[in-house]
Amino acid sequence: MMSIGNLHVRFATPFGSLEAVRSVDLEIPAGASVGIVGESGSGKTVACRAAMGLLSGSNVQRDGTVVFDGKELTAMTREEVRNEFGTGMAMIFQDPMTALNPVRRIGTQLSESLRLRLGMDKKAALARSAELLSLVRIPDPEAMLKKFPYQLSGGMRQRVMIAIAISCNPKLLFADEPTTALDVTVQAQILQLLSELRRDLKMSMVLITHDLGVVANHTDFVAVMYAGEVVEQATTAELFANMKMPYTQALLNSIPNIEMKSGERLQVIEGRLPNPVDRPKGCGFVTRCSYAQQKCHDEHPPLLDAGNGHLYRCWYPLGHTIARKP
Amino acid sequence: MRKKYTIPTYFAFGWLGFAVFLAVFGSFIPIDGYQVIHGDFIDSPPFTSGHWFGVDSNGYDIFSGIINGARLSIFIAVVSVGLGGFIGSLLGVTAAYYRGRYDSVVNTAFNVVLSVPNLVLALALVAVLATNVDINEAVPTWRRLITLVMSLTIVIIPILGRIARAATLAWSGREFIVAARSMGMRDRHIISRHIVPNVLPALIAVGFLAVGVVIIAEASLSLLGVGIPDGASWGGMIARGRNDLEYNPHALYIPIIALAFTVISTNHVGDVLRGKLDRREGRL
Repeated sequence: MMSIGNLHVRFATPFGSLEAVRSVDLEIPAGASVGIVGESGSGKTVACRAAMGLLSGSNVQRDGTVVFDGKELTAMTREEVRNEFGTGMAMIFQDPMTALNPVRRIGTQLSESLRLRLGMDKKAALARSAELLSLVRIPDPEAMLKKFPYQLSGGMRQRVMIAIAISCNPKLLFADEPTTALDVTVQAQILQLLSELRRDLKMSMVLITHDLGVVANHTDFVAVMYAGEVVEQATTAELFANMKMPYTQALLNSIPNIEMKSGERLQVIEGRLPNPVDRPKGCGFVTRCSYAQQKCHDEHPPLLDAGNGHLYRCWYPLGHTIARKP
Repeated sequence: MRKKYTIPTYFAFGWLGFAVFLAVFGSFIPIDGYQVIHGDFIDSPPFTSGHWFGVDSNGYDIFSGIINGARLSIFIAVVSVGLGGFIGSLLGVTAAYYRGRYDSVVNTAFNVVLSVPNLVLALALVAVLATNVDINEAVPTWRRLITLVMSLTIVIIPILGRIARAATLAWSGREFIVAARSMGMRDRHIISRHIVPNVLPALIAVGFLAVGVVIIAEASLSLLGVGIPDGASWGGMIARGRNDLEYNPHALYIPIIALAFTVISTNHVGDVLRGKLDRREGRL
């Protein structure tokens, strides 16, 4: 459905060029759900927005190729790419509190894309809007159309956002941390809803999250990002069966576990992401990695293939025979 | 939930309504025109029968002058603020939305105009544009009026333009703008449907303050001798009345009171409206 090749995104900052996304290759098969995992600042959101062509501004530089549905987005004009928005690809945003216009009614916001993009008249668009709202399980959709965003809870707003995103039947849906801003009890419902919608509407989906648990339940493929690079990539089953990257393991360990003893401390990943303006020459994770060797400081690891499409970026992957530092 | 209006608010709305009523329908009120000379009543104090507000030393009825002045003062203020607000917000909103070099140019232009004191700028514009090459030939009133409105518009453009630009900068960074783009909305649609409704409350509130500023600016220009001639506006009446402050103070005070009430009312209404219109965002 979409294939991203050698994607680079650079921002010009007063401190120098900031490379937020470095050489990302990603394949999103039709009908599949791909998870992108990584901590804050790892470049997940920027990579997706750049792939879609939503980054704008004179200080942004994007390189690489993005092919969507047989069309090369990176070679198209702005207007041509705009025609793909909504009907071809759509995005759900992280924070439903800010992703709806506070002064416009839900019905107006939901029907405007139907009217502008699909050419429906006002009446048909409002009727379709009510259908979409019931599709995302909002009770009493007719009444909801007349409400303002401030009258809705976070979960309801996120459902409205999903309704807007799927309103023009996109083939590819980017869900940018759709549950991060929500209550834990609502998170599972929203993810469940997204998975069902994806199946029913036969969409492909890119699910951005920092929660490997979410990825395990809702995706077919996973790409783990760190400091702007894909550091591990495999099918979801393969990734959890044969984890190669110490970083992926550290992410997994930092999820609270119901079987933990009371008083036991949650594992955290010490340290911070490397400075994106002034990167170290070796592996980006080296200062935080408990398995780091001298080679990790000196040489940047390439993306290696463990066979069966399992890619990783590590000199000494988990399960490697070399003696490890404790 | 709804906050009750206070007495000053009722007064401000009432006065503005009354002033606008006078401005629109004043010419239908069956009294003599403001330029009719009442020779028998020269220098009559207020509450003289038939001349409620008195008569000045030229024999002009002050009540009639106030009504006529309301029309001119309010017309000048509303037209300049409307025109200046429209042009200013068009520039400000597009500058903040598109950024880049266009924004730098617009913002610099705003700052340059703002750096000249309002009155000096208006004075210079009127003095240059509303004079004839032959200084003995009188400048027609309509030309002075147009020049006055134009120069006050130029004064208003950067004031409201900066407000529009600042508000747009804040709103266009919001996620719902990106969300609208991600659904394939055109820039024009995003500006008119998503940004303008959010920017408008701030503009309306400041617009009312600007009306007050313009009314005062027009009066000041009249005092300096470049306003509408013949004492046709409130400022003009003040300019003419100040000559006989000792003998005939009401000829000065009455237009001043009308002007002060109007300016205080517009400021107050601006404040109240801002409070009301901001509430939707406040409840988020």
